Amino acid sequence: MPRKGLIVRQRSLIAITAALAAGALTLTACGSRDDSAGSDSEGSGGGTTVVIGVDAPLTGDLSALGLGIKNSVDLAAKTANKEKTVEGVTFKVEALDDQAQPSSGQQNATKLVADKDVLGVVGPLNSSVAESMQKVFDDAKLVEVSPANTNPALTQGTDWQKTKTRPYKSYFRTATTDAIQGPFAAQYVFNDAKKKKVFVIDDKKTYGAGLAATFTEEFKKLGGKVAGTEHINPDTKDFSAVATKVKNSGADVVYYGGEYPQAGPLSKQIKAAGAKIPVVGGDGIYSADFIKLAGASGKGDLATSVGAPVEELPSAKEFVANYKAAGYKEAFEAYGGYSYDSAWAIIEAVKKVVEDNNGKLPSDARAKVTAAMQNVSFDGVTGKVSFDEYGDATNKQLTVYAVENGAWKAVKSGTYSG
Amino acid sequence: MSGVGPVEAGEGTHAEDAPSPRGRLAPLYTRHRRAALAAGAAALVLTGGLLYVTRPRPEPPAPPPYPSQAVGFTYLGPEPRPADLPAGSFRFGIAVTTRDGPPVTVTRISQPSAGLTLTSTPRPPFRGPADGALTVVITMRVTDCGKVPRNAGLPFLDVTLRNRRAIEDHSFILGEGYARDLSEAIEVACSNDLASLPKLKNTPENADALPAASHNVDRANRP
Repeated sequence: MPRKGLIVRQRSLIAITAALAAGALTLTACGSRDDSAGSDSEGSGGGTTVVIGVDAPLTGDLSALGLGIKNSVDLAAKTANKEKTVEGVTFKVEALDDQAQPSSGQQNATKLVADKDVLGVVGPLNSSVAESMQKVFDDAKLVEVSPANTNPALTQGTDWQKTKTRPYKSYFRTATTDAIQGPFAAQYVFNDAKKKKVFVIDDKKTYGAGLAATFTEEFKKLGGKVAGTEHINPDTKDFSAVATKVKNSGADVVYYGGEYPQAGPLSKQIKAAGAKIPVVGGDGIYSADFIKLAGASGKGDLATSVGAPVEELPSAKEFVANYKAAGYKEAFEAYGGYSYDSAWAIIEAVKKVVEDNNGKLPSDARAKVTAAMQNVSFDGVTGKVSFDEYGDATNKQLTVYAVENGAWKAVKSGTYSG
Repeated sequence: MSGVGPVEAGEGTHAEDAPSPRGRLAPLYTRHRRAALAAGAAALVLTGGLLYVTRPRPEPPAPPPYPSQAVGFTYLGPEPRPADLPAGSFRFGIAVTTRDGPPVTVTRISQPSAGLTLTSTPRPPFRGPADGALTVVITMRVTDCGKVPRNAGLPFLDVTLRNRRAIEDHSFILGEGYARDLSEAIEVACSNDLASLPKLKNTPENADALPAASHNVDRANRP
């Protein structure tokens, strides 16, 4: 039976070949999966060191926001070094604590100016601190990009409502101003939340008083009533007298211009006084710490904050993932994305200056970096990053958040396109 | 003419005619060939399955951006007033552009004031342009002078946007030019012919919003 013997041998050959092929292909497949592993995560840009300064409150009541700024700048520098964004340059970060005090901020500005390796600074958080730093940086032609200052006067001059004049060419910001944030909140409160009678409170600081003013002006233009106004002392946490005034005013909403360390207890005490009305604030209260401080009665309180919600921006998702992977202890908070973009704007400006100077930093690098910043344009964490003639961000988005189930939830977003 | 026919195997060239290389394993294999073949077939099926499951697949296409991030609304200015436009009505032009990804569908355009109505041409739903700008003309009508904002700094245009990613409500703040033109149009609408407006109110509650009589008289007395 010669034919049967042939078939048997051919079958066995096929079986053995298949088994060997299966094994080989399986190993090949496993091998291909390993190809992407083991990349160098701590790359270095090269021999020249450029320092990006950070000024923010790293201790004290506002440290949650400040540490989020510092960590996000650190992430940007590490990313630039890893990707060798600027050939021949390694970025380092020097972070200084201003404790939210203008005097500390000014000392830090002087210190950063004295370090010749510093070619750009990210910060500060507080508009009042920025006021004390702007001239120091401008005299040294050292560029400053704030991720968080919202007071319009910083870029458009103190008379900004009548005549806009840029006071300092070295100052830029990635955050939207209160010239938009206050009216944005007023529009939402009056038209969407249907609140018609507001009690306005502020902390007398540059940011808080300025924001409360722009809110109030728009709220009145829309036809809303101001049931009362009060100023609080941010050094105290006892707001019972103000809370009683709110209760007696008959207001159906409270607007607070200030920050979360005071806003949280204020909200709690207003509700405890019997006024079951929402407290509304700006980006200064948009923090998880506000919810902790306000307690369960803070449900329904509102905050506006700069930018679109993180989940709407694919670039922001990547930032969130990288921030998590970097293992920072503190959350990036409200200004993380803006801080990353501020630092990246400095990196882009340095890149432009180096490329225009045959791959080396020029002797007047600070002035050149400041000039280059005006034309920086890139797709950042928060969207397109570029600056207008005043140094303000051209990307102006805002979002209203409400406290729901112990967390901030986005309820409405707006885009300024004027 | 010459030709080459099919090559045929010669004697002794068949595989079965060659001496067996298997030696002592041959009887063992012959006894268990069914099991061996079954194992081989199983290995083949397993291999095929494994290769199918782990086959390289193209990356799924990235989802489009959220609609609010993909579209832009820009104020163009007042539009000419047709002769048959009802009293208290005015028109503005808005440029709708696609900033990123495929065009989104605009399913609603409105404004938040209780004293105004808004219609648009084209009427929603409509798709944004793939290239360039689509001019949308919005027509507003004052229905209640007591409820319209006389001098809003940053009036909203509220829209609902839809694409493959999501349906979103979003506000576009069209800037100072829109705010100024809207305020002027409202002033004219509420000053020219009070009788033509259906629900003019001047209750104590909105007295500040509408400084009413004296204000309107002032407007009427202007050259």
